[in-house]
Amino acid sequence: MVSVRPRERLDLLDPAEVARLGGIEVLTDGIVEGFLTGLHRSPRRGFSVEFAEHRAYQPGDELRYVDWKILARSDRLYVKQFEEETNLRAMVVLDTSRSMGWSGAPGSRLTKLEYAKRLVAAMMLVLLRQRDATGLITFDDAVRSVTPPRARLGHWHQLLSVIHRTEAGSQTAAEPALRMVMDQLRRRGLVVFVSDLLLDRDLAIKALRFLRHRGHQVLVLHVMDPGELALEGPAEARFEDPETGQHVTLRPSDWAGVYARTVETVVLDWRMACRRHGMAYERVTTDTPFGLALRQALVRSTHVA
Amino acid sequence: MTFAFPWALAGLALAAVPIVLHLIARREPPTVLFPATRYLADATRLHQRRLQLQNLLLLVVRTLLIAAVMLAAAGPRWPRASLGTHSPTAAVLLLDNSLSSGAIRAGVPVLDGLKRAGRAVLALASAEDRLWLLTADGVPRAGTAAGLAGMVDSLAAVPARLDLGVQLVAAAALLRSADRAGEIIVISDFQRSGLSGGRYDGPVTALRPPGDPPANAGIAALTVGSQPWGQDGGTVAVRVGGTGERARSVSIATEGRPARQLLVPVGGTATHRLLALAPGWRTVTAELDPDELRLDDRRVVVVRVAPPARVSIGDAGAFATTAVQVLEQNGRVAAGAEVSLGTLGAAASVVLPPADPARLGAVNRALAARGSLWRFGDPAITATATDSGPWLGRERIQRRYRLAYQGGAPIDVLVTAGGEPWVVRSGRTVLVGSRFEPDWTSLPLSAGFLPFLDALVNRAARGELVHLEAAPGDRILVPDRVTAIVAGNRRWPIEGGSAFRPTALGPYFLLVDRDTVGSISVNPDSRESDLAPASVAEIEALWPKARVADLERAGAVAFRAGTTSDVRGPLLVLAAALLLVETILAAGRRRVPTR
Repeated sequence: MVSVRPRERLDLLDPAEVARLGGIEVLTDGIVEGFLTGLHRSPRRGFSVEFAEHRAYQPGDELRYVDWKILARSDRLYVKQFEEETNLRAMVVLDTSRSMGWSGAPGSRLTKLEYAKRLVAAMMLVLLRQRDATGLITFDDAVRSVTPPRARLGHWHQLLSVIHRTEAGSQTAAEPALRMVMDQLRRRGLVVFVSDLLLDRDLAIKALRFLRHRGHQVLVLHVMDPGELALEGPAEARFEDPETGQHVTLRPSDWAGVYARTVETVVLDWRMACRRHGMAYERVTTDTPFGLALRQALVRSTHVA
Repeated sequence: MTFAFPWALAGLALAAVPIVLHLIARREPPTVLFPATRYLADATRLHQRRLQLQNLLLLVVRTLLIAAVMLAAAGPRWPRASLGTHSPTAAVLLLDNSLSSGAIRAGVPVLDGLKRAGRAVLALASAEDRLWLLTADGVPRAGTAAGLAGMVDSLAAVPARLDLGVQLVAAAALLRSADRAGEIIVISDFQRSGLSGGRYDGPVTALRPPGDPPANAGIAALTVGSQPWGQDGGTVAVRVGGTGERARSVSIATEGRPARQLLVPVGGTATHRLLALAPGWRTVTAELDPDELRLDDRRVVVVRVAPPARVSIGDAGAFATTAVQVLEQNGRVAAGAEVSLGTLGAAASVVLPPADPARLGAVNRALAARGSLWRFGDPAITATATDSGPWLGRERIQRRYRLAYQGGAPIDVLVTAGGEPWVVRSGRTVLVGSRFEPDWTSLPLSAGFLPFLDALVNRAARGELVHLEAAPGDRILVPDRVTAIVAGNRRWPIEGGSAFRPTALGPYFLLVDRDTVGSISVNPDSRESDLAPASVAEIEALWPKARVADLERAGAVAFRAGTTSDVRGPLLVLAAALLLVETILAAGRRRVPTR
């Protein structure tokens, strides 16, 4: 059991260790707290404000925020404080295919899906706390669940129950899920596509482009296990794709270099394709602390600074 | 290719290790679930063929590397004959100029081809080589290549026989005296009959003329029976040897008589009686019509013609008396007083021990009075046997008297028994150590008794010594008292008891002062007439390391022992190069190829 000192920030710990501390709900809250503590909230963020509370006037406060009605009633100077509010609608599209259920180091590292579930939960909590309507679509070879976007904080528990139920499925087909996004987001919004991207890239890009053309912001969050970046294994092994059954027999020591270069190229191709079409792309490995991953993702989304 | 350590070749099996490991590694590997297999497939698609080629190349290089190292460990030597050079070596050139080399093949003497091959071999020799030339005379000649080539040019076929086995042993002894490895180069017609002798395990280059030899016949034997002949003549037997099917015409001739023609089949014998010859030493010649080999077509034999000895019988015993009567009936002896048999007479005598031992002293005194240097000595206690010789074969002796010589070193010992004199001569007196009685010796009961008695009274008692047969080059021990040997117009002064080696064919006469006491009939060895060559298998059976080739290939196969070079160095260089290639290939496999 990992002991965490009270002031220690969960968002910066090793994800596997964090996962051992408790359930998603509890941990996500801790992760988000830590994450938000490190952020500087901007008063200009959002396109409308909503009254939150009064406080005593202090020299330097702008006079336009003085509540003149209280001044008239009680002859005291109070200024009105406003909570940021947004009308952003966000949709998280989570890949739950069989390949997402893989870990390069079972026991010491989360599977891609477990990592993505916690990351997505944290991300959705941040969005909900910003009053952003947030929804969730899970898919493998078909759409498995659709949770429409809502801005209520209580929506968080509904999302969490979906996440809890999510398990690795079978093969991957992203287009139906992305088409489903268009049904859910009538207005412009944010689409976060979380996947290991072991799918048909051209079809996926085509669907994402369509979302982009509809005015949505698109963030592609590429989840990878560190074991997928560097080829390792016995002297000779038969590598088999758990989804397609495709297999290749080779000596990892012979092919490690070529493989690493190939992965780099794949990542670069995704990055370039996303950039070309105005989409954000971020690669996250499952050993990255959730806080860092959350920052990378949300900075890319341009919604959170 | 030869190897200094052939047992190290067993290590070549290690060359199979990379292949075995490769096959073992080909078994089904463990399956690893890996979602990014599609990336692997993309990565390998472009490089799989290249990597397979690299792997195959690596396998070959590693196998060759081990094989090269193991071969180097075995100390291989590679022939350099094709380069025309050789390291300093020793070589014995055994060139067969024996009688058979005088045969004519396709109009050319066989010896010419042998000499040409000899010159070709010597042309390959370098100044650093140690060289000898051995020919049919058996005399080794050392020299430079140029000097030996001159000797080869001057060689002629000699009527001697050359035993290749014997000469090979002599050549091997020469090589052992050299301070380096060497080889024996035999240039010969390789008659099967000349290939006698022991095995030889050293390197031999055997060069022989191609094709089959011509048919040849020769006079294999010419015999004249018991000597001397009486004046009424005697019978000559001639045998024709060699190959061929038709009968050959043989001329029999002797001095002063016209030649007589006989038709003798090859392998057969014919006889001819020569009548009414004058006393003296006669040479009888048998000669064939000329064929492809002339040197064996003539044979001579010396015949002593003399009237039969006139014998008187003293105390000789019943067996000797009966034998003389038989000889008399056959005209070999006559009654008279020329030779006394049994007791010491007035003239020539064959003296036997007296039957009464009490008379031995009187006999010895009589011998002394006659001037004889031999006496009867003490009786020998142990039984023994005669030693075989030209006069007598092996006979058992139960009783005998030792014969004692009164001078220095004993001479004129005709027959020995157990190494001691048994029949001796002093002037015209012959002493025999035993009486011709069955309780003294088995001789009177044997078939050789009559010829022996004939020789004693007709030749020994008359001072005649031996009629010898020899081939050119044979070593002959000259009988005691001989002072000279004469052949035609040539005369060799000689000391009795020394060796004489005749070189030319024909009759030789042994002289004691001016008296002729014996002869040597020198004729070719009849085995030389059979020109049938030995097969390669027969040569290799006797000489396991022989390399047999035609004469034309002399320049290509000679100096085989010296024309090998140590290839360990090149092999190790090759191994180093292979190791470098292996390193590069192995490193290249691990390097990340660029797409």
